[in-house]
Amino acid sequence: MSVFARLRMVRVILGVGITVRAVAWGIVAALSLVAGAAIADAFVDLSVGSRRSLLLIAVASAVITAAALAWRDRRVSSLLRVALWIEEREPALQFALASAVETGDERLVRAGGSDRWTRSAIRRALRAVAIPLAAGIAAVVVLFALPAGAVARIRSPRAGDALARGGPRPPGASRLSPLIARLQPPAYTDSAATTIDDPADLRVVVGSTVVLEGRGDAAGIVAITGGDALAASSHGDRWSVTVRVSKPLTVRLRDGPDQRLVAIEPIADNPPTVTLTAPAHDSVLRAARGRLILSADVSDDFGLASAAFEYIVSSGEGETFTFKSGTLGARPLHGARATFVASLPFDSLPLKPGDIVHLRAVARDANNVTGPGIGASETRTIRIARADEYDSVAVDAVPPSEADKSLISERMLIQLAAALEKRRPSLARDTLVRESHSIAVDQKRLRRTVGEIVFSRLGEPTGEEHTDDESPARAKSMEELIARADSATNRSTDPIDFAGGESPVVATNKPLLEAYNAMWDASTELELGQPGRALPHMRLALAAIQRARQAERLYLRGQPPPVVIDLAKVRLTGKDKGGSSARRPLTAVDSTRVMLTTRLLRIAELSARDTRAALDSLLVLRIAALSVEPAFATAVGDAATAMRSGNGVRATTAFVRARRALAGAPAARDSLSRWGLMP
Amino acid sequence: MKRLMAPIMSEFVSEFVFATAQYESGDWDSAPLLPANIIDTIARYTEINVAPTGVIVPLSDERMLRYPLLYLTGHLPVRFSDAERRNVRRFVARGGLLFVDDHNHDVDGTFHRTATEEIARTVAPLADLPNDHPLYSAFFKFEGPPTTSHELNGWGDNLVHKHLLAVEHAGRIGVLYSSKDYSSEWNYHPDSKRFMSVDNTRFAVNLVVYALTA
Repeated sequence: MSVFARLRMVRVILGVGITVRAVAWGIVAALSLVAGAAIADAFVDLSVGSRRSLLLIAVASAVITAAALAWRDRRVSSLLRVALWIEEREPALQFALASAVETGDERLVRAGGSDRWTRSAIRRALRAVAIPLAAGIAAVVVLFALPAGAVARIRSPRAGDALARGGPRPPGASRLSPLIARLQPPAYTDSAATTIDDPADLRVVVGSTVVLEGRGDAAGIVAITGGDALAASSHGDRWSVTVRVSKPLTVRLRDGPDQRLVAIEPIADNPPTVTLTAPAHDSVLRAARGRLILSADVSDDFGLASAAFEYIVSSGEGETFTFKSGTLGARPLHGARATFVASLPFDSLPLKPGDIVHLRAVARDANNVTGPGIGASETRTIRIARADEYDSVAVDAVPPSEADKSLISERMLIQLAAALEKRRPSLARDTLVRESHSIAVDQKRLRRTVGEIVFSRLGEPTGEEHTDDESPARAKSMEELIARADSATNRSTDPIDFAGGESPVVATNKPLLEAYNAMWDASTELELGQPGRALPHMRLALAAIQRARQAERLYLRGQPPPVVIDLAKVRLTGKDKGGSSARRPLTAVDSTRVMLTTRLLRIAELSARDTRAALDSLLVLRIAALSVEPAFATAVGDAATAMRSGNGVRATTAFVRARRALAGAPAARDSLSRWGLMP
Repeated sequence: MKRLMAPIMSEFVSEFVFATAQYESGDWDSAPLLPANIIDTIARYTEINVAPTGVIVPLSDERMLRYPLLYLTGHLPVRFSDAERRNVRRFVARGGLLFVDDHNHDVDGTFHRTATEEIARTVAPLADLPNDHPLYSAFFKFEGPPTTSHELNGWGDNLVHKHLLAVEHAGRIGVLYSSKDYSSEWNYHPDSKRFMSVDNTRFAVNLVVYALTA
């Protein structure tokens, strides 16, 4: 072997040694950190986040250590530095080797004895590796000496590994801590199981299985849910209790004197949301021919199973109705969102004039635990017009209504009056009065038109035939006008209530009557040559006509014959006697809120003395309120979370929110309902 | 006008006002004489301060919450709108009593199927109301729901519904459902009572008294 070949071999040996040493020290650094963290975790419960951070630090320290060592010894790649390293160990060479490397002439070095260089390099490399290898072995021994679970918590930190934590368990320590909860949602949700450390407040889908698990023997551990007591079961060195969740519940774990609460809130699987997109509106058809396209959008929180359109055809009137019903376009669905369509052939029904088709879309979800959840869309009705209704469904172009024409005219009169008012300073009094009177004539004509619209409906003479204020059509007040209008069609003095608080006659005519009165005042001012004072009345009239145009069209189902009971006449004339004092008046219906408020206040007081007890009470209160006051329950849950994390400000805010959820918005009330019903 | 507006405009109702529920999907006004008849009956047998006329209140209007008893009837399918459903839910939660009567003297008819489905969707599924429920002794004593001359007669037999159906909320009836067609039985002018040996509207007193008391 030539001198240079031998030199390169020595360089490789030294390089390997340096590399192995760098990697070994890196591994030692990482293993030491893992072992140290595992030992620390045995005494101080490190959170998942802390353990994840420590793992990252261990890996980083390994890389940094190895890289630093490799960088320090990077000159091993230089043949000259290797030659000098050999010269240092072979003084007899008298720098001949270094000179040979520098000059590239290996004849400067005698070939004999170069095998000693190799042995020397091997010894050096082994020495460099030996110490870190020994340290690594020591670290591995320490890791193996630790409980497997303790190392696993550092090596692969995850939620739910609290039970794997090592460390001495003092005799008599509670078996209720540490505690984990394994949540297994129903299969149809297609959701993965999860594990939670130190559970206090769980939210799971209805039908889920919750396994509460702790360390130690199961003997004596009981879980109380409502009135039921479940004994824990043992497996290995752990105990567990399994709870199936169907309603809000509080699990009270008992281990002798120790207690622990776990609140479980079920998340309801909502039924599918169904929107009927076609037909988009109720319709009246002149004839039932052709096909009706049906379309619906459906969605569900977990998954859909099927959907269909349902129809009901009602025929008849009065007391005689017949019905037939059926489904269309039934189909299985998958996924959380879908659109489905079908068509309804009218010929297949068949339909007669007056028949009504009630249509809706219905979807079922895949819930096989508490369901299936059934969602339905709004119902659309398709009515087949009767022969005598054709006029009402035919759409023909018509001239503007009288009310519309009045609107335009009033707007014009306002412009004329405003222009006149603007020119007023420059006009002589006679000119002003003449022009103002001209506008007043038009205003009176318009008032007559509005009066005709109103009073012709009421079957009375129009209001403008008489020009003096004593005209019978000129009411003194709005009340009189309305009463007159109302009585014109409602023969009763006390007609039934028409939902909106007014009879249709009043609802449709009131704005026009307001306009009528305002026009009267305006024309009076105009006749006096006061266009400026007439303008507010004219604008009132314009606004009133506008309201009349925008008034919803009213459809009357036919007014039942009004019957007003003469209470004084019939009072207690019945022959039979009942138990009039058997019952007491209904009390306030909101006693639930009162009860919740009282409990919340007690807990607030308790929190100052015993935080742990207050926390448990909050959990119980939250579960109790879930079904009756969800917003309150949410705020109580937030308060518990904040208290558990020691955040007093957030806890206080949540308490205030809880109080407001019960008290509602502030409102001033004059009195309480006699029947106890809050508005 | 003031009398007309008073029950609506005042924030609280100080007298009992018989309210008929108006809903969008069906013929809610199919028993127009029933309210007056019930009001007459209330006055005949009790000292309850009752308004001389009833009101019609849309289920979609929050003002329906002012009335402790709502009467709902019809022949046609019952499908609540979202607003109607929301208000009915609130009405029951606040202690109101919704009395639903199938105006079809029918078995498992369309009104029955759609109304019971809608009630289940809106409040909760209906269940048989025991015939010894306090409703039947709230004022007059009944052994169960009074039968009607209309109930099932069209089917040619004497079978009658043995129970009313109900949804209870917080220990009280929130929704009472009848297939007995009281809407036909009670839908006559109150003056006609003088021709009857037994007043067939007495059960209505129990309904009103139950709705107003505990």
